[in-house]
Formats: sequence, structure tokens, C-alpha cells
Amino acid sequence: MSTLLAVVLDLAPAQWHAAAKASTSPLPLATFIQHLNAFLNAHIAANNDNIIAVFAALPGTSVMLYPAAEPHVPVPDANSYTPFKLLDSAIIHGIERELDVIADSDNEVPVALVGALSKALCYINRLTIAQPTAKNEHALDPHILVLSVSPDLSSSYIPIMNAIFSAQKLKVTIDVCKIYGPETVFLQQAAHLTGGSYIYLERRDALLQYLTMSFLSAPALRKTLSVPTQDKIDFRVACFCHKNIVDIGFVCSVCLSIFCQPVPVCSTCKTRFPMKILQRLNAARPLLPSANSNGAARNSSPAGGRTNGNGNATRTR
Amino acid sequence: MPPRRDADFMDVEFESDISLDDDADYDGKGKGKGKAKVTDKKKKDKGKSKAKDQAYTWEANFVRSWETVQEDESGSLQGSVEELLARGRRRRLLAPASAIRRTIIRHLVLLLDLSSAMMDRDMRPTRFDLMLQYAREFIVEWFDQNPLGQMGIVGMRAGIGERIGEMSGNPQDVLKAISERHKMEPTGEPSLQNAIEMARSSMSHLPAHSSREILILFGSLTTCDPGNIHDTLDACAQSKTRISVVALAAEMKICRDLCDKTGGQFGVAMNEGHFKDLLFELVPPPAQRSLPRPGGGGSANPTADLMMMGFPSRLPDTSPASLCVCHSELKSEGFLCPRCQAKVCDVPTDCDICGLMIVSSPHLARSYHHLFPVQPFTPV
Repeated sequence: MSTLLAVVLDLAPAQWHAAAKASTSPLPLATFIQHLNAFLNAHIAANNDNIIAVFAALPGTSVMLYPAAEPHVPVPDANSYTPFKLLDSAIIHGIERELDVIADSDNEVPVALVGALSKALCYINRLTIAQPTAKNEHALDPHILVLSVSPDLSSSYIPIMNAIFSAQKLKVTIDVCKIYGPETVFLQQAAHLTGGSYIYLERRDALLQYLTMSFLSAPALRKTLSVPTQDKIDFRVACFCHKNIVDIGFVCSVCLSIFCQPVPVCSTCKTRFPMKILQRLNAARPLLPSANSNGAARNSSPAGGRTNGNGNATRTR
Repeated sequence: MPPRRDADFMDVEFESDISLDDDADYDGKGKGKGKAKVTDKKKKDKGKSKAKDQAYTWEANFVRSWETVQEDESGSLQGSVEELLARGRRRRLLAPASAIRRTIIRHLVLLLDLSSAMMDRDMRPTRFDLMLQYAREFIVEWFDQNPLGQMGIVGMRAGIGERIGEMSGNPQDVLKAISERHKMEPTGEPSLQNAIEMARSSMSHLPAHSSREILILFGSLTTCDPGNIHDTLDACAQSKTRISVVALAAEMKICRDLCDKTGGQFGVAMNEGHFKDLLFELVPPPAQRSLPRPGGGGSANPTADLMMMGFPSRLPDTSPASLCVCHSELKSEGFLCPRCQAKVCDVPTDCDICGLMIVSSPHLARSYHHLFPVQPFTPV
């Protein structure tokens, strides 16, 4: 059973700097690359037919590190296995080269994680679809491993969801290893929707162990190995108006924008809503304790509605 | 995408069909089918006596579909295959790249013709089996692209409309409704009016922002109606119910009228592949027709609406088991309605207790690509 592993590296310089300075179990980029190379070598060694592709998400751009467009030919070394050497040097030189480029520009641009993810999907698509006559047609088991350090980027929500849905169509498993930074809801959903696992590193210095124990096995073998899965996934959404996380939202039927309170005009598509509906919704809406922002739409709702302690909203009529 | 490639391939075949078959042949085919329908019952006793009717595919004129595929000098088919692929790519590029308004909350009733005409063998193995097979694929694809939609199934059999599947947002429920073939054995005459009335009444309670659609898979050339079907047609146009018909036999005036007056699509399937093409063209959500009031000067848009939706929390697999409100089964996993804390098995759905529409954010996100289309990739 050969697998096709596409690794997406999140190389946000600021986040890696912070990770190296972290108070508990710091992980500098150099150590990370050592662990990563050991993991990738293990993957190649596991099966002769295993394929690896490495993509890097950099601020504002994404590149394919391995297999590289212009391969860097390392000095032959009698003490190393050539495939390992090729892979390691391609990754190290690729990262060095790209980091040199962005070292000059010091303005903070978010990393193009979606770009790298899409490139990985395109690459997988090309390998699995374009050569259907290959002998390992059915054996090829593609999965993507995202090594993430940056927080969620709310503007990339739709592109990242599109990438997730294409992965679902291609039957590609997306695994996420969150090395540093806050939990990312988008990547949690990516792992959940494609049947992968999302792991938040508690001990960053044990990265290699996490990688080999959880992500080295083919997705098909995961059931037997009982790889850690996530229990709670946040399916709630942030409203478009105040970025509040809402349980019950109001959704525009035209563009599916989500609002935390009834609004007279949709802010995205400029659709006006009939007054009757606003009044009806205002009467029916549950009063959430957190939603006490002022707004014209709120005036008609009686202030007497209270919520009880455990979050069950009482409805006011 | 495999289905698309398939579609292109079929397309080329049709072109060859049209160019090679002259008019006379086409006429003959149509008449043959008509006669076959009329003499359907007689055929059983008389057997092969109607051989000149050309009701069977193997009696039709020979179409040399391979001649449309040209070899290049070296005898390779690569050029032709690439051309077919390019055709599909071009069609994708022609698709509107700008955001257009589409109906997202769809409600569709699938009307299946279960009349005796469906036992015709002009499509392999029979029209009925082929229809069931494609209907299943259609349902899966439809729910994949319209996660917020709901679908019901009504059968036309022995002069009445028969409710086969209730309106449901869960593809498994809909598939289950048509899983038992023996319960839908075709018999009798179809009744368009009865079936359309039944479909319309099951969608009459829906709010204005959701679309009402009827898709008819029609194999018969007759309909036996209790009243005037044009009254039904007017009622459908009034309630903005969109009717689309995929006919398996031939074009009927009333079917064409149903589609034209309600803004639906009409198509006659020429062969198995074309049938599938026609059916799958109806999967993406239809563009909403522009409203008569341009600019929206001051007045509220009557079809726009704010919908109250609940975003549930998912219970982990390890939580203690409890009964769900939808099937009354003891399960540990499920989703909690944010308003009444009832436990439902699957989303999207309407809460059985408080009626709140429960969706999860991926479902909304899934619909976004119809609203904000992805730019075509540049090939490298």
C-alpha cells in the first residue's frame, strides 16, 4: 500500500520567531526542519512506491519545495542514502532561498496557506487522474499534512472551504498538526470533514514523535491504529456584522450572510428585507446575554426577556 | 471531473447522430416510438409482428460513432482525445465568472413516471431501470451541490399521483424511498395533472425565498387527467413553481408548455448518455430571474428574506447515549438544537421540536461557491 503524502509547511517568520522564544518547550525553525526531514525520510523508507511532495506557504506566496522545478544537486556522499539526501537538501535549500527573498521585505503579509493547499491538491489530482493506467492506480492513497503555526485568516474562509470540498471529492485526507499559536477553527473543520486528524502539540520538542505516531501511517490504516481524533469541533459561525460567535443567526436568503441580529439591509448584497419579517424575527429572537450591542433593529424587542443561567434562551413574544 | 468528460464524449456522438441521420430517418424513429406506445399491450401477445416499427435500438440506423474520432498521422488518438478535453474546458470557461444571483434554498419534487410506457426497452435495460439508476445518481449529486435543499418524490402510476418519499433534506432518506424497485413496478397510465397537483400542494407552505421546483421524468406520450391541466399550469405559474421535464419518448406540447410558462427546461433524451446529461444539467441551482423592479428604489425585495438559523453543537462520540428526536434511537453522537436543546441525528434539518432550521457552517460554505464562483485556474 503506497501512499502519496503532500506536506504543507506554514513558514510565517513572525510565528516561527515566537515559537522559538516560547516559554514552554520552544521549537526553533532549525530543529523543526531536522524533525521534518527525519519524518519524511521515514515515509520514503516505509515503502518504495511512496511519493512525497512538499509545499511551503510563505507570506503572500506559496512554492513547491520538493520535487523542485530546478533540482539542487547535492555533493555525492558515500555515507548517505541518495533519495534521503536529495529530499533533505531540496527542502533545506528551498527554505533558505525563500526566506532570503522575504527577509528584505519587512511588512507583515499573512501566509498563503490556501495557495499551498490548492497546489497540493492540484499535484495530487495530476498524479491520480492523469495517469489512470499506472499499476498502482488503486493503491495510491493520498493525504495532505498541514503543519500550521499561524492563526486563522478570516478573509480566506471561502477559499479554504472550497479547498476542503475539493479534497473531499478527490478523497484526500487532510491531517493537521498545529505546532504553535491558537487553535484554528478552519483547519479543525478541514480535518473533520475529510476524515483526518487534528493534533495540537502540547510538547513541541517531541514533534517527531507526534508526526511518526499519528501521521506516518496511511489513512486506510488509521482505524486499526486508533490515531487520536478530535472530540469537539466548533460548527458555530462568526456573524458578518460584529464577528460574534453565534448559536442562532439570521441569514440573508440571497447571499447567505450571517448576522447576529435582524438587520433591515444586507451589508453584503445590499438587499432590503421586508419590514414585516424584521418585526416577526425581532419578536421571535432569543435574547442572548452577550448580544447587547445597540442597533436600530433592537428597539422593537422588549427588554424584559431574560435568559436563564445555563444558556437556554427564553423566547419573548 | 469524470461526469463532465463523459458528457463531452456523448456530445460529440449526438452531433454525429444529427449529421449522419437524415430527416427521414429521424421521422421514422419518432413515429416508431409513437406506434410502439399505442400498441404496447398488443405487443405482448403478438410478439415480433411489429418488426417494421423500428421501436428497438438494434433496428435503428447504424451510427458510426467511431468515425468522428480521427487518427493523426502516427495512428494515435491523442489529438482527438485532447480535443474532447478542450471542449469541456472551453465550456467551463464560458460559465459566468461573475457573481450571479441564484436560489440557494431549493425545494424539489422529483416526479417519476411509473406508467407502463416505462417498460419500453429502447433504453437499456428498460426505461424504468435506467431512470431509477440515474435518479439515484442525480439525488446524490443534487444534495452534494445543494446542501440546504430538500427533495421529495412523487410517482405517476395508474392515473394517480403517489407519494413515494416525503420532502426531506437528508439524501439517505430520499434514496431509501426509491430503493425498493418492486414497490414501484410500472403500471397503467400516468396522470400529469394529479401528480403536479400533489407536488405543488406539498410545497405550498414554503416561504417566498425558497424555490419550488418540479422535475418530471416522463416516458409516456399520454396523460390522463381528471380536469383541465392548463388550470394546473396557471396555478403553477402563479405560485412560481418551476417545472422541468426530461422526456424519454418524444416531445409533447403540454410538456413543452409546462416548462416554457414556468421557466423550466425541457429536453427529450435521445439515448442513455443524453438522458443523463439532461438530468445533470438541472443539478446546479438555477439563476434567479431579474426582478421587474430595477435598482430596487426604496421598495423592499419581495423574495429576499432573513432566515433564522441555528448552528448546533456536535456531541462527541463518547458522550452518554440518549434518544434522538428524529428516529427515537439511542445514540451517543448527534447535534443539539441551540434553541430547544433537542438532539437530532443529522444536519441540515428542521428541528422536530421547535422548527428552527439547523445547519452547520460547512453547509453554508458549500453553497458559497455558487454565489462567488472560483476564477478559472491558469494551466501551467
